[in-house]
Amino acid sequence: MGAEAAGGVIAIGWWQLLLAAGFIVLVGAVSIRLSLGVEKDLALATVRTYVQLFVLGLVLRWIFDIDSPWVVLGLLLIMVSSAAVIIVKRAPDAPRGLLGSSFVSMALTGFIVTFAVTGLVIQVEPWYRAQYVIPIGGMVLGNSMTGIALALERTFADMDAREDELLALVALGATPWEAAAPSVRKAMGAALIPTINAMAAAGIVFIPGMMTGQILAGADPLEAAGYQIVVMLMVSAATALGSVLAVMLSYHRRFTAEGVYLERGLREE
Amino acid sequence: MGAPGPLVSGALLTGRGLRVQRAGDAGPVAVLDGMDITVDRGEVVDISGPSGAGKTTLLRALALMLPGVEGSLALDGVEAGSLGARIWRTRVALLPQRAVLFCGTVRENLRVPWQLKVRHGADVPGDAELRDALDAVGLGEVALDRDAARLSVGQAARVALVRVVLTRPEALLLDEPDANLDEESAAQVAAQTARFAESGGGVVRVRHHRPDAIVARRLRLAGGALEEVAGGR
Repeated sequence: MGAEAAGGVIAIGWWQLLLAAGFIVLVGAVSIRLSLGVEKDLALATVRTYVQLFVLGLVLRWIFDIDSPWVVLGLLLIMVSSAAVIIVKRAPDAPRGLLGSSFVSMALTGFIVTFAVTGLVIQVEPWYRAQYVIPIGGMVLGNSMTGIALALERTFADMDAREDELLALVALGATPWEAAAPSVRKAMGAALIPTINAMAAAGIVFIPGMMTGQILAGADPLEAAGYQIVVMLMVSAATALGSVLAVMLSYHRRFTAEGVYLERGLREE
Repeated sequence: MGAPGPLVSGALLTGRGLRVQRAGDAGPVAVLDGMDITVDRGEVVDISGPSGAGKTTLLRALALMLPGVEGSLALDGVEAGSLGARIWRTRVALLPQRAVLFCGTVRENLRVPWQLKVRHGADVPGDAELRDALDAVGLGEVALDRDAARLSVGQAARVALVRVVLTRPEALLLDEPDANLDEESAAQVAAQTARFAESGGGVVRVRHHRPDAIVARRLRLAGGALEEVAGGR
């Protein structure tokens, strides 16, 4: 690698990579001097950043070279599955059997929104072009994963906090949905707050990641803005739809077939 | 539910062979061990027993509010299974021990039952009816516009009782309705309960206190079975 310019991009060479590490070494020295105790974590995180991103670069280069729809779809599927596993881990109080509904919500919203962006908005040719599908899919999946995990965790935590209320409502003849709805609404609001905040602050407080990347890559800022708007709206939609779907597919797991809320004392887990 | 036993005619609420098992420290324990219970119209039945004996469990089983209950339940001779759980709960109403009031005014709280699909199309009680119902339990000074969060424990308990009575169930299952209440509030709760029974309803109360004037029969729950206690009315 050298410092030659290629297509408007100034390539990063080995010594630039080392220079960046040098700044981290400086932070490490400060940490040791002030006994902040973060030098080990910092070193590990730095090594991870190097390894993970270079491996990602190699994998993407390999996938771009193969240029096969199956490889692209396979990779998306792996991303969806990993996201589903992470979602379940982040909601430890949720009932069992959430892996399926997390996977379905991630897969449905992830695939639909990703290919809506690449196929209808950007109109890439061929439709599976990895250079577009994988990064956009990653953004869509990453954001909806965070939203879904938050929505599920909040739904079940709030229902537990409202245990007495749910008992009273069911006793008055409420359906599981009528009893659960206030918790679901609260959880959906919480799940969408990060997305709404990001949309509100975009362009004022920070330049969104994708736009930053395109500007660095030499794109016209106005064109980059157009891309970013499309992706941001689609990502927000994916987060909202994925969260709604995941919660609607799973809230009733805390109720029996006769509509009784299973409070902590009644669970067989 | 399992095989139905013979149902006593004239009885309002009947439970036959009710059995509930719980995981205990040394294997499963039968909290209710195949017990029978009958409540007639106009009758107030008190259930006492040591704590942890399963009194709340019994009330929840009678309200179809507990998973894994064996046995059969019937209301006026009609099997619970043929009514469906939600309809059953509107007719055999459980009032949990902790009074739950929702965000909003007293009026909104009293009308919560009519926001549920199960009462879709039913007449929502008007302000005059709500006012009379509150006056009848000594809540004359509580305005319908009062924020429910500003009620005392005793007032909240009475509002919750009024709310369930207004839905006109046939049987009321009251879990310690006068625990934590001062004497005056407790007397008003008892008076309301008595009026409900006099109008043809059946009442099962879980209660620790000494029997009051309205109780018709007292039962004691211990070892998963019920036994009659002398000293009823």
